[in-house]
Amino acid sequence: MPVVATTASVDQTRDLAAALAVLARPGDVIVLAGDLGAGKTAFVQGFGRGLGVVERITSPTFTLVHVYEGRLPVHHLDVYRLEQMSEALDLGLAEMLDEGGVVLVEWGDAITRLLPHDHLEVRLTFGVGDDDRLLELEPVGPAWARRSAAMRVALGSWTGGA
Amino acid sequence: MLILGITTSTAQVGCAIGGHEGVLGSVHSTRGRRHAETLTPAIEFLCRQTRVELAEISAIAVDLGPGMFTGLRVGIAAGKALAYARRLPMIGVTSLDLVAFPLRHSPRRIVCALDAGRGEIYHAAYRQSPGGVQRITAPAVASPEDLASDLSATAEEVLLAGDGMLRYQSMFSSLRRVEVADAGEAYPLAGSLVQLAHAQALREEWVSPAELTPLYLRKPDAEINWSTRDGRSD
Repeated sequence: MPVVATTASVDQTRDLAAALAVLARPGDVIVLAGDLGAGKTAFVQGFGRGLGVVERITSPTFTLVHVYEGRLPVHHLDVYRLEQMSEALDLGLAEMLDEGGVVLVEWGDAITRLLPHDHLEVRLTFGVGDDDRLLELEPVGPAWARRSAAMRVALGSWTGGA
Repeated sequence: MLILGITTSTAQVGCAIGGHEGVLGSVHSTRGRRHAETLTPAIEFLCRQTRVELAEISAIAVDLGPGMFTGLRVGIAAGKALAYARRLPMIGVTSLDLVAFPLRHSPRRIVCALDAGRGEIYHAAYRQSPGGVQRITAPAVASPEDLASDLSATAEEVLLAGDGMLRYQSMFSSLRRVEVADAGEAYPLAGSLVQLAHAQALREEWVSPAELTPLYLRKPDAEINWSTRDGRSD
């Protein structure tokens, strides 16, 4: 069962991600799915802030990978410009996963077969208003499934008060 | 003839300079922050300490992997840049060969394994041959469990080396007739690279920078299915 949340601004998407980051553990993989402009980079910006990253987080669409220092190292990937699965491996995915950081992959849903089975998929879709977003956070595998309840608590402000 | 050797396929960054006199000097570090930040200052230090000018180098040798993707690319890119800039030939040597070479005085079968990440290892087997080692199985990627079960079936005495063996030591140390070499034999050494490259250089076995490619054993050929990205009209 995915956790479903709604935000009404980019800042709220960032705040939600920052709240989720409290639950992050070494080796976590978060797949970010959603159209251009849905807020994938904003999500990573908030998540990084939640992990204590002070450096400004920018889109890695053209640079492919950015690494930030926080409570855990944050690896921010964007595979939008890649065409081959092998190019995704060339980014050093295996080593990032081994290093004990958190890996967030924009458009990661396109390369799930290269990613560990155990991950969290965050799907961002457009809502009614221009700045409204629907976020579905779905644990794939046990690592995040075990944190489902904690996730609901952490994201309580955006899940319709459930 | 002096050769500069660069090894970056593992957690260890190494460089060495040598030739017919043997290895003049080498620098290794497993504690560097990142390969890209460690390698160039290390080469500079090495040149200074061996009193060799880059202009005296006549070939660049690099460790081709298999190994860490990011590390390999740093070492190979740096080696190619130097080779292009100074118009030098290159020599590539497989990382596993470099781990096996220092163990050439052992009469046992030598199996080298480097950590491939994601619970897998790159491995190859060797036996002693005059002046070195001969590779008897092609470099391959496998789970340590599979390699351990292969080794448990062999009747030969086996010496295991490489950081992959150390990482999964508990799976191998209980096997009969198998000894795991210590941390000193865990990484490809740049000195071994220079020695092996020198032997190849004497046979004029070199390649141009454009021809030199890393040895990736784990490359899926598939294209990314971009139905999500391309389905939209942007």
